[in-house]
Amino acid sequence: MPLKLEQPRRRQLISLTPLIDVVFILLLFFMLSSSFVAWRTVDTPLAAPSSTPVEASSEQPHAVFELRSNDGFVWFEDQRISLENSRRIRELVSQHLDDLFVLKAHDDVELQTLMRLADQLKLQGADTISIANAFRESKP
Amino acid sequence: MNINQKFITQRDRHGDGSVIPLINVVFLMLIFFMVAGQIQRSDPITIDPPTSINEKRPNLDPDVLIIVGLGNEVYVNDQPVAMDEVESMLSRLFDESSKPDQFWVQIKADGHLNIASLRPLFSAIRRSGLTKVSVATQLGQE
Repeated sequence: MPLKLEQPRRRQLISLTPLIDVVFILLLFFMLSSSFVAWRTVDTPLAAPSSTPVEASSEQPHAVFELRSNDGFVWFEDQRISLENSRRIRELVSQHLDDLFVLKAHDDVELQTLMRLADQLKLQGADTISIANAFRESKP
Repeated sequence: MNINQKFITQRDRHGDGSVIPLINVVFLMLIFFMVAGQIQRSDPITIDPPTSINEKRPNLDPDVLIIVGLGNEVYVNDQPVAMDEVESMLSRLFDESSKPDQFWVQIKADGHLNIASLRPLFSAIRRSGLTKVSVATQLGQE
């Protein structure tokens, strides 16, 4: 009678296929539902409505920057200044440091252009910028 | 060389050995998306927000989220609303609010939207008596 010695069984590895399935499903879920937009907020506080329309805060002097189109230029006291001209804008900001920087915009100016101007003023040292003023319905 | 081939055939007999690099890559991608991405409620329409260097993050979630798309469609808290109904809706939401002191409105508008189409919205918010308003921007430079 031949002797049958039982061969030592090799350790059965767990199949990786279900693991890969689950990991792929998780990966798909996170890829589709993740958002990479870094949202920030720019405060545009509105003045409380009043019965008599008055120009916002008469005490602080204003430095009015006016956007007439999306051509990358801003108007200040009838001067046309490029939004890229950091040096000139810094000069203007330093001359009016205590003023309220009021932004005005014509109808066809894009929101992005307005934000570019606000960014540039902030970069050049302006502290108080009134962005909400650009959205007033009266003619700029 | 023979020994090497022997090990390869042994490994392939089990079937799963060759997929280990794949699993490594997939795990890395999974970890990347889990850590770097943020899961949040998606907006009813896709907008391209204006970019800004502004770093300010809101401390609280907005009480009212107004989304304005390029076609001037307005969504208040994910509900499509006509522009002339915004004022009454905001007043109602403000009256229902449990914390009226902290009530604030966030506007997500497309960066290519012109100012003229946003003026009626700001007027409606102003008429409804709300003063805390913010415009959502995206971090970065144009």
